[in-house]
Amino acid sequence: MNRRLFLATALLPALRAQAAESPQAILAASDAVRNPARPFSVTVTLIEYRQGRQTDSNTLAVYSKADPASGQYRSLIRFVAPQRDANKLMLKSGNDLWFFDPASQASIRLSPQQRLLGQAANGDVLTVNLARDYKAQLLGTEETVDGEKARRQCDKLQLAAAAPDVTYHHIEMWIEEGSARPVKGRFFAESGRLLKTAYYRKFATQLGRERPTEVVIIDGLDPQWVTVMRYSDYAWRDVPDAWLQRDYLPRFKPE
Amino acid sequence: MPPRTALIASMALACAAPAAAQQDDAAALELADKAATEKEAAKQHRVYVEGAGLRGWLRGGPTTDVARASLDLRYDTTFAPGWRAVLSDRLDLIHSDDAPRERNVNALREAYVSWQARPDVILDLGRVNIRHGAAWGYNPTDFFRDGALRSIVSPDPARLRENRLGTVVVQGQKLWERSSLSAAYSPKLEDRPSDATTSLDLGSTNAHHRWLIAGSHRFGERLNPQFLLHGGKGKTTQAGLNVSTLIGDATVAFAELAAGKGPTLIAEALGRIDTERWRRRAAFGLTYTTAFNLSLTAEADFNSAAPDRAQWDALRTASLADSLRYLQAAQDLQDLPVRRAAFLYATWRDALLRRLDVSGFVRWDAVTHSRSQWLEARYHWDRVDLALQWQKYSGDADSVFGIVPQHRAVEVSVRVYF
Repeated sequence: MNRRLFLATALLPALRAQAAESPQAILAASDAVRNPARPFSVTVTLIEYRQGRQTDSNTLAVYSKADPASGQYRSLIRFVAPQRDANKLMLKSGNDLWFFDPASQASIRLSPQQRLLGQAANGDVLTVNLARDYKAQLLGTEETVDGEKARRQCDKLQLAAAAPDVTYHHIEMWIEEGSARPVKGRFFAESGRLLKTAYYRKFATQLGRERPTEVVIIDGLDPQWVTVMRYSDYAWRDVPDAWLQRDYLPRFKPE
Repeated sequence: MPPRTALIASMALACAAPAAAQQDDAAALELADKAATEKEAAKQHRVYVEGAGLRGWLRGGPTTDVARASLDLRYDTTFAPGWRAVLSDRLDLIHSDDAPRERNVNALREAYVSWQARPDVILDLGRVNIRHGAAWGYNPTDFFRDGALRSIVSPDPARLRENRLGTVVVQGQKLWERSSLSAAYSPKLEDRPSDATTSLDLGSTNAHHRWLIAGSHRFGERLNPQFLLHGGKGKTTQAGLNVSTLIGDATVAFAELAAGKGPTLIAEALGRIDTERWRRRAAFGLTYTTAFNLSLTAEADFNSAAPDRAQWDALRTASLADSLRYLQAAQDLQDLPVRRAAFLYATWRDALLRRLDVSGFVRWDAVTHSRSQWLEARYHWDRVDLALQWQKYSGDADSVFGIVPQHRAVEVSVRVYF
């Protein structure tokens, strides 16, 4: 290969990225696909599989809004099903995490490691604002197979944690060129261990734009541990700031 | 291995790993394609029935068998914009081979109407379970806890908080962006408690005029303390503080304090005249959660109104009956019966086996060195729970938990949700 042509080919992705958008802007555009800009509500159904068999399912009603100061999402989550957990609540505002059981009227502060109710912790793969917490670097462009077996031309980003208390040490993210749709994410621990792989799929128009209505999460250690998260009943919903505190939990009742 | 073969082998491995991962991903996505599409609708009620058989061992050898059937319901509805009604009730039908043979108890735990006049102003009227506290085993700021236990089916502090009577109140709450202030007034409605099966038992929860003010402010992600003031007719004002914070991503630290003038717990329990002095009650602790979802809580509890060793020995030597009455009253008041105690609580979800939850506690009395212990294994299917619980009081014959007559009990229960 001609030396000049080789250089031009090698530099092409970097030149194209520079001419187009910065990796951080690509990431922010992808965040905007996942996360509505105004306060909203959504119903989340989680179905968990082990060894090919359904082992658990939960349904949650989620009210969410972005914190203007941090950009991160703050959410009130009510458990709809199963019956034993019905009407229990969680308040999640970054690492400020509270659990409320209406039967005992107990508001308990939780640590991020504490999972009182099944796979709900997986919710962070959807409503987290990655561009705020991670520094993005473009690794290149590549064609990848999405969650519905279609081939998509993607920007592959490497995200490094920019804050000390984020859940994942680093993330690999495939974002479709042009549409900024998140296609696939791989989430890693500090040790380099793969924690989970997420496929964003079943895009449909929700709250004014195309958004994923299903995320399939595959455990990093045990690929036969699969969680399907379905998002439905999207609606714009006013969530006053005053509701996003521990002492409002006994009052919260979604419509 | 020859270099060429080694190179080919390592290249094959490098290619095989992503290929295997792709196969795993494809299998997972195929599974997701088959996932059911229906979703469960929100229900306004939670109802379950429970059947249980218990065997208790009394000191000296005799045993007692108890059978229990329970119906537990909670109904929570919005009947007009901004208006909410809550009903929570539990019926326990208890048959024992010891006297009293039949003991049936209905507990109307909550029955109130709530009006959210504005998103930041709420008013409540009716019987409300108002509960405060950051600690697990002992909650000195849970000011409406005394007299609230009408039927005890488990010593687990989480269950005691659930199976208790609310207080009839008029309550208002105002919210700000980072703060909340609530005030509750609980009027006197009856003079004394009632054991009648269907009694509202207002004498247990509303025997005096009482009031409570609670405020909290969110200083940041890690600090959201709560301040309380509580008083009433014939009761000196008590102040309380609840605070908890996060240490790392796996540990929560908490502190709960209450202070105010009052009698000793012995005087309050036995109806003796006593000088009111400053009394301090406190609980401090940590909850650590492992990566495999085992949560361990260690808590130090303190109650300056409770007897020290000399005061306990004096009570115990004077009368065993008075000592037992004292312990019963401390349980009714949900107060710590000893000056200092340590409380260890563990709860492990999916303990070695999916759907198996194991919980347990040890409360160690640091004054007379006795223990109260409880362990539960609960396996749950979608709508059915099967639970085995074990309880034991141990200690010397002159220690606090060592005098409890029924020193050991085992219970098997089945719960079905509807």
